[in-house]
Amino acid sequence: MKASVEWLKEYSDIDVSCEELGDILTMTGSKVEEIDQKGNDIKNVVVGKILEIKKHPNADKLVVTKVDIGNETLQIVTGAKNIKENDIVPIAKDGAELPGGKKIVKSPLRGIDSCGMMCSVGELGLDIKDYPNQIEDGIMILPKSYEKDLGKDIVDVLNLREEVIDFEITPNRPDCLSIEGLGRETAASLGKTFKNPRKNLDELKIEDKNEIEGIKVDITAPDLCYRYIARVVKNVKIGPSPEWMVRRLKACGVRSINNIVDITNCVMLELGQPMHAFDINSIEGKHITVRRAKNGEKITTLDEVERTLDENDLVIADEKKPVAIAGVMGGLNSEIEETTKTVVFESAMFYGGNVRKTAKKVGLRTESSSRFEKGLSSENTLRAINRAVELVELLGAGEPVDGKIDVYPTKQKINKIKLDVDRINNLLGTKISKQEMIDILEKIDIKVENDFAIAPYFRMDLEFVADIAEEIARFYGYDKLDTTLIKAATTLGVRTKEQKIEKKIEDVLVNNGLSEIYTYGFVGEKDLEKSKIRKELIENAITITNPLSDEYKLMRPTTIPSMMQILALNNNRKNQNVKLFDISRNYRNINGEVEKGEVPLQENILTIGMYGDDVDFYTLKGLIENVLEVSNVNSYDIQKETQNESYHPGRCANIKVGIDVIATIGEVHPEVLMNYDINKKCYLAEVNITKIVKYSKQNKKYHEVPKFPAVERDIAIIVDENIEVGEIEKTIIRKARKLLKGKKSLEELKLFDIYRDEKIGENKRSVAYSLVFRDLSKSLSDDEINPVMEEITKELENKFNAELRK
Amino acid sequence: MEEEIAKIKENSIKEMENSKDLKSLNDIRVKYLGKKGELTLVLRGMGKLSPEKRPVIGSLVNQVRDELNNLLEEKEKELKKQELQRKLATENIDVTEPSKKIHLGSLHPITQIIEEVEDIFLGMGYEIADGPEVEKAIYNFDKLNTPPDHPARDIQDTFYITDDIVLRSQTSPVQARVMETKKPPIKIICPGAVYRSDSIDATHSPVFHQIEGLVVDKNISMTDLKGTLEMFTKKCLGENTKIRFRPHHFPFTEPSAEADVSCFVCGGKGCRVCKGEGWIELLGCGMVHPNVFKNCGIDPDEYTGFAFGFGVERIAMAKFGIEDMRLLFENDARFLKQF
Repeated sequence: MKASVEWLKEYSDIDVSCEELGDILTMTGSKVEEIDQKGNDIKNVVVGKILEIKKHPNADKLVVTKVDIGNETLQIVTGAKNIKENDIVPIAKDGAELPGGKKIVKSPLRGIDSCGMMCSVGELGLDIKDYPNQIEDGIMILPKSYEKDLGKDIVDVLNLREEVIDFEITPNRPDCLSIEGLGRETAASLGKTFKNPRKNLDELKIEDKNEIEGIKVDITAPDLCYRYIARVVKNVKIGPSPEWMVRRLKACGVRSINNIVDITNCVMLELGQPMHAFDINSIEGKHITVRRAKNGEKITTLDEVERTLDENDLVIADEKKPVAIAGVMGGLNSEIEETTKTVVFESAMFYGGNVRKTAKKVGLRTESSSRFEKGLSSENTLRAINRAVELVELLGAGEPVDGKIDVYPTKQKINKIKLDVDRINNLLGTKISKQEMIDILEKIDIKVENDFAIAPYFRMDLEFVADIAEEIARFYGYDKLDTTLIKAATTLGVRTKEQKIEKKIEDVLVNNGLSEIYTYGFVGEKDLEKSKIRKELIENAITITNPLSDEYKLMRPTTIPSMMQILALNNNRKNQNVKLFDISRNYRNINGEVEKGEVPLQENILTIGMYGDDVDFYTLKGLIENVLEVSNVNSYDIQKETQNESYHPGRCANIKVGIDVIATIGEVHPEVLMNYDINKKCYLAEVNITKIVKYSKQNKKYHEVPKFPAVERDIAIIVDENIEVGEIEKTIIRKARKLLKGKKSLEELKLFDIYRDEKIGENKRSVAYSLVFRDLSKSLSDDEINPVMEEITKELENKFNAELRK
Repeated sequence: MEEEIAKIKENSIKEMENSKDLKSLNDIRVKYLGKKGELTLVLRGMGKLSPEKRPVIGSLVNQVRDELNNLLEEKEKELKKQELQRKLATENIDVTEPSKKIHLGSLHPITQIIEEVEDIFLGMGYEIADGPEVEKAIYNFDKLNTPPDHPARDIQDTFYITDDIVLRSQTSPVQARVMETKKPPIKIICPGAVYRSDSIDATHSPVFHQIEGLVVDKNISMTDLKGTLEMFTKKCLGENTKIRFRPHHFPFTEPSAEADVSCFVCGGKGCRVCKGEGWIELLGCGMVHPNVFKNCGIDPDEYTGFAFGFGVERIAMAKFGIEDMRLLFENDARFLKQF
């Protein structure tokens, strides 16, 4: 909301600078967005009269002039074409400053001293549209009447000084979307008296009528229109508004149109109540109905766009057609024109929630709708329409007809709130006396009667003690509030199990050289295709109804595409050896939760993405084993996965606890790499942290450090390539467990060599293990272990057709 | 005979002095003290001496032998030391050559700020709470005193999945969920991603991160809120940080405030980050609105509370001197490595 300081002065004395006023109002809740001080950037520019114009001796295009600036005569050289002797012009003297920081200094022009400069409209920072008699590329020629002002500051003479403060008004304070409201805040903030120049409006009595000049009004949707007042003005003379009104409108950012339209805008700015004016002749049947629109009903609004409405929208209609979209914009069909003779003024209160919806639907957020949507006062409508009529009279723009049509089905409720001094002080942490509270409240027109604060009609936001507390705090001063420490029960600040695990995982990854990334949860359908995400998962994706773009249309059901995008970006930028991780969520609508209004599955996922010289499947596998180890997930299975199309079918594994897949790791499928234009092998892991937390068991127990020596044996066997070492290991462990009883066990099994050559045979490999046996109660003897080794060897021969290598 | 012994002693000492390495030293030992060594031979030849002379000469030889042994030992130590020093000299390395460390990765700047804030509040007895990002509109809006027609729903351009399900536009729904399930005293912070329909540019992102705090108990006051935030900002942004409250409006708090902190980049003198004002708008906060309490099953006549919230990216950008928000989500490895 832009407010000119000059206009605010009608409501409150202001004896501080514009900046100080801005700071003070900011601290009482009307935050300043911007301060515009017009005229302050023009210095040392005065009114001058051209006495003579002579040719420049050294330049054809220049002239040498003598200019009278009251107490002295200056010689000025200029190239201007539109000047003649005796013209009155603005003169920038030596040392003058112009808008945009331009400085004028006395200097010779082609050998002749020039002691200043004549200014154009543009050079003074003025808008050529406001000075229709001036030309753009010439000197500003002032009327002869300014001859009396020679030597005076042009800023004062042309009344260019204008200070405008733009306030950010919070949605609870629609009353401050008016000069009156801001004027009240100004007076209260500065400790001045609120002058209330529109007090007469509260006392005015206007007779109620059912019909004026044949006009009748009905409200058929009282749930959307709480009050509708109409007044009529006859013998209207449409014309331009007086300068003071144009100036005030302009300062507040509103363009002048004609006197009647300007009056409606002026009232809106002054009192915060949007108004509308119709030409009586455009109201067919002279019957105004405030009704819901019919489905598919059309209206062309003042901006010449046709809009289609439905029964959720409220319109002002005559007997045949809508003439305005209530609270949003008038119809072109009832516009005030040069020929308009009789005007119907409308001042109404429409339900804000509905105005907001309609305005949003038709894509028209106007000065009017943005006020209505915050909830206006029905009581203010009468003041506004009477003010409009008062202005008509003041401007001599027409003859008001006596009486008003006032349909007011739902009276505005006035809130009374208990002034509970203790509760307010407890809430604020203050010790403000009751009298102090009353004084503050009365400054802003909140009367206190019998310990109840009575919210004035324009403060519908005041409902609770907390609201009254805020008003008191605002003017007591937020900056005067103490800083205290909570006096409450001691609480324990500890991370949850999941938060601890997550932090440990982060540490392991960072210590292993991975950097964390942050990705958006959005993906596009294309991303899912590029990453070859399987169909069932794509079907689980959640669609955003109002996405920023197609790429951001879905909530990702898997984090793979997000990681692939980042790997692709880094590869594209030639970053070498990239190792990244991301802990974020996937979003899966598995059982139609979203349609049922329920929250869909959102699991916490660790995603790892890597490429570079020092990474392969087994580095990734080791990393994940470490992640599981710090998470205290101790028993899991690593199984080959061939069906996940995002991964290389021969180089992918699932990590399972029971049948539950807690992680998938592997090399990215070459087709996916191609889709992302990546020319090197990439490795991916998706680890479900939510599941890890579920399987995390802190069950570490001390085991006695062995006192007796172990027996170590090696075994090397030749097996077919397709036999997984994991299977061989399981077999050895199982067999050893079966054979060794009591304190005897296979303590360690380590694969130490895999070897292939022609002698071994095609599609075969030799795998070598070292086995460590131990008895915790005594030294083991060879005699005890030899048969065990024999049995194990036999088992491997039988099960895997293994051949013992000697 | 004595002369002969003195001679042996003299010669052997001389040779010892000239000895340059352990081998020549050993040769000297053999030459004089070995089985066929010169001094040993003297002992053997003692049979020729008179009985009264024998013990005299015997003890003299033993004395010289001990003396020589000691000298040899000392010489040996000295030579060993010299030898070690020669060896060490050959083992010299250039300590400025590159190390063999495993390069550490890094936590994203957003995580670093979040964890710093978490640690401060954990220390003050707060728990960390979490909730869904794809959230029910009722938690994102209605329970927070923002009913369907409320203008605030207009201000926050929310991503909608259905009319009832949204991408949370704030982390406040977590507060509502905690209040519904937990009895006061409640002291939580809720960090997390939030979504707003903003196009991406240097200062906007449709996804960003917030940290909100909530305290509910008997007799919680606005001065407690101010004190808590002052303590937090001093710990997080520097001991000299000042905090300033301005009245503001949020649907879920009353009274509400916006809190500015003295610029933690320039210390309040005015710089690019604070746009010359010396203050940075940092937080929104206030006393929990009675309607919010009612909606979440807490009696507003019995309990009061405060809530606050702020954006993580803004702090991260100001603290690390990052001028373009897009860098945070682009994830160029060369960017990430710097933190």
